[in-house]
Amino acid sequence: MTNSCSAVSKVLEKYFDQEVTGEERFLVEGHLQDCPACRDALKSMEELRTWMRVPVDEAVRKEDFPWVWQKIERGIRLQEQRSWWQSLRSWLDVTPLFRKKVWIPAVATIVVLLFISTQIIFKQTPSYQGASVVEYLESPTCNVMVYQLEEPKVTVIWMFEGPEEEHTTT
Amino acid sequence: MKRTVFLLTAFFFLSFFSIPTASAQVQVRIRVILASNVGQIIDPSLNDMHKELGSLFNFTSYRLLRDEPMNLVPNRTVTVQGRRPGRLMEVTLVGLHRDNAQLKIRVIREGVDLLNTQVRLSPGRTVLIGGPRYGEGVVIFAVSSRF
Repeated sequence: MTNSCSAVSKVLEKYFDQEVTGEERFLVEGHLQDCPACRDALKSMEELRTWMRVPVDEAVRKEDFPWVWQKIERGIRLQEQRSWWQSLRSWLDVTPLFRKKVWIPAVATIVVLLFISTQIIFKQTPSYQGASVVEYLESPTCNVMVYQLEEPKVTVIWMFEGPEEEHTTT
Repeated sequence: MKRTVFLLTAFFFLSFFSIPTASAQVQVRIRVILASNVGQIIDPSLNDMHKELGSLFNFTSYRLLRDEPMNLVPNRTVTVQGRRPGRLMEVTLVGLHRDNAQLKIRVIREGVDLLNTQVRLSPGRTVLIGGPRYGEGVVIFAVSSRF
């Protein structure tokens, strides 16, 4: 190895990685023609690269890259997934109406109306389920009888127009 | 902002009060039956009432004169005309509650009230109003509701 070998060896790795400038390439290639030691050093580098590349290429060939990419995408989605509260807030922010928080009085109005309507609908009224109640009854011309049966569920209002009709009912 | 709140409030009030108005009607069926002791004819269309009529009255013959299904709306009087002129029945829905309807019923003959009554009628329940003479028998009005 000559003095110029020490100068070339500094850029030999760069030359091997194809990172040298034109001037350096000219210098190295000129030197390699006359220096078997540096040629051996370069050859050793190529052998080392070949020795490393074979198992890496083998591993790459075996690896299922679409599946890996799917895993990565799923991971990204999971990271981006928002809580229900964040989703609700973003939904409420969709319209300028909600952005101004007008929904607060609106919701309050709905609650009040629901409360009032519940009171009206489920107001305690006397239950007449299953019964027919005669609230009032008048007849200027007839005698009237009211009777109510539970089975069958029937209410009867009978008008007696004359005494001879009374025998017709039970 | 104030205008939006006002509009929202007005909308909810209107929708709230329009619901009961829209659904305030009662389906009523009025059947006019001629009951008599002439023959032993039971009208086939009265099969569903035959047991009730048999257990309540001693008549041997029941004939359906008229069958009037109708929708009653509050305070609007519906008239069922009789076979003979001047005989009619007026029914008015005067109140509607969760489990009953208040019906005002008038039975009129030649301009004179034979009966003036108000009943609370539960769904599926029947009121029988009978007694007015008709030919050799009597007329029975069967009023039933469904709502």
